[in-house]
Amino acid sequence: MPVLAGVDLEIASGEFVAVAGPSGSGKSTLLNLLGLLEPPDGGEVWLGGERVSHLGRRRQARVRGASIGYVFQSFLLLSGLTALDNVLLAARYVRRDRAEARGEALALLERMAVAHRKDHYPTQLSGGEQQRVAYCRAVLNRPPVVLADEPTGNLDDHHARTILDELRRLAAERRAAVLLVTHRAEAQAGADRVLYLSGGRLLSQPPAPVA
Amino acid sequence: MVRLSALLPRGYAFTVVGIAVGVAGLVALGAMAERITRFIEGGDRFVLGQISIAGEGMGMGTGFTAGGILPASRIAEIAAVPGVSGVQAQVMLPLNTSTSHFLTLTQELIMGMDLSVPMPNRNYREFPVRAGRWLRAGDRRAAVLGSDFAASRHLAVGDTISLGGQDFTVVGILDKTFTAPDRFALVPIEDARELWLRRDPLLVQAFGAGGMRRADLNTGVAVGWRDGEDPDALARRIQSTVKGLNVTIPGELSQLLRQSTAFFSALLVGIGALGLLIGGLSLANTVTAAVFERIRDFGIKRALGATDLDLLVEVLGEGLRVSLWGGAAGVLLALAIGTAVDSRLLRDGQQLFLFSPRLLGFALIFSVALGALAAGYATLRIARLSPAEAIRRGT
Repeated sequence: MPVLAGVDLEIASGEFVAVAGPSGSGKSTLLNLLGLLEPPDGGEVWLGGERVSHLGRRRQARVRGASIGYVFQSFLLLSGLTALDNVLLAARYVRRDRAEARGEALALLERMAVAHRKDHYPTQLSGGEQQRVAYCRAVLNRPPVVLADEPTGNLDDHHARTILDELRRLAAERRAAVLLVTHRAEAQAGADRVLYLSGGRLLSQPPAPVA
Repeated sequence: MVRLSALLPRGYAFTVVGIAVGVAGLVALGAMAERITRFIEGGDRFVLGQISIAGEGMGMGTGFTAGGILPASRIAEIAAVPGVSGVQAQVMLPLNTSTSHFLTLTQELIMGMDLSVPMPNRNYREFPVRAGRWLRAGDRRAAVLGSDFAASRHLAVGDTISLGGQDFTVVGILDKTFTAPDRFALVPIEDARELWLRRDPLLVQAFGAGGMRRADLNTGVAVGWRDGEDPDALARRIQSTVKGLNVTIPGELSQLLRQSTAFFSALLVGIGALGLLIGGLSLANTVTAAVFERIRDFGIKRALGATDLDLLVEVLGEGLRVSLWGGAAGVLLALAIGTAVDSRLLRDGQQLFLFSPRLLGFALIFSVALGALAAGYATLRIARLSPAEAIRRGT
């Protein structure tokens, strides 16, 4: 049974789009397809002028590394690496100069108020700190596309606000296309567009409640 | 300064321990096989280097360590047989006469050698001396001890040892040969003859009755052959020329030795195969499991842009380092266990393990190669998954 059907979505640079929907509606699948984390059974994904969904594995990996940043609900930091090394991991696979990337990573950690925890391992960090580190990793390479899958799902209000403000700033200042999957009403309210997933289809209005 | 974490990836400690246990098993079993192999090879090398001849009889007077008495006249006849290059008279006696002493390869023996002639054994022109010196013509009450013989009694050069109630000065200790001489006390033949006379009342009576000289008190001889001579043919020639001898044909004895050790040969093949199987499976399983445990990490890395090649290189690097650490730790563990066990056994003049350089080298190469193969296999399996699937499975 297809999870998504007839989904046609275009996001412009600098646009902040929120996608809402009940559990199991396919929000994460949509993000995985757009982020090339999962191959589609049908359809296409374009990035800029390139049909990236049909590239080979190696070229898709390059696109993921250079052009797409991911922020996951469960942070997905590598437990064997320090906070700083987790951020720098994003630079490794795009062959960035480590010293240059390190300077930028430290600045990002500083900006997100976790620089003092740079040498700590994920298990030594709070949830809010882990998500801020994960955010730094997602944006280190200045990707034109940032996909955030319930990034505030495991955070308290204060830390959730911090992450959402950063995502908005990313779209506004860096002109990144940001797609956010969230249940938070405040996040949806601050988005340029809010879309709703229901029955595998994307709607511009919330679906009418079933009588 | 190199950080330890740079050499051993974090989170792999248990993997290293798992590999170490597997490799230790492999090395320990291999060391036992090496020990048996060296024993068989050493015995073969010795018997093929000389023709051993005893006097006719069962050797009752010498604890069945050799045949009957071989008088000097017979030795002279042997020396006159064409093709013989040298004959060395010997007296072989059991060290301990309180138990039954049948011919075995593990028995402790006193071996008297005629030092006025060079050793005729082609493979042992002289026994390799580790400490002190070899026996010289004219030595009396001097002994050169086999390595196990000396170690089990904590004897060193210059010490005194009582053999058959007579004190002997230890003038040398042999290198380990991993075969019979390791349990020998080698003495001048005159001293051995005296011990024999003191031990055997019947012999004293026969000696006292006349007709025998001290030079007739020999239990056997080692015979060498001239270059180009076929030792088996010479042995048969001696047998047909000189009467009243027990002649061992080197080729037949070697075959006999191999037949009698066939069980051990089969055993060591089994031990080696078992070691490879257990050690290999343990190592491959541990490395593969360690890679599969990190499936989520690989998913994340692929999401961050890692290609299949990036991951393969990373995992192979980690697999090699972990296998090398595990292999080295396993070798050290096996060495520690083997040394502890052998130090206990050495009190009885025994040794169970032989950790040869070729075995240790093989164990390290084996563990590294198998670790890399296992890591590569696991990586290729994981690479088939999409990044999202890898993250899902590993979470």
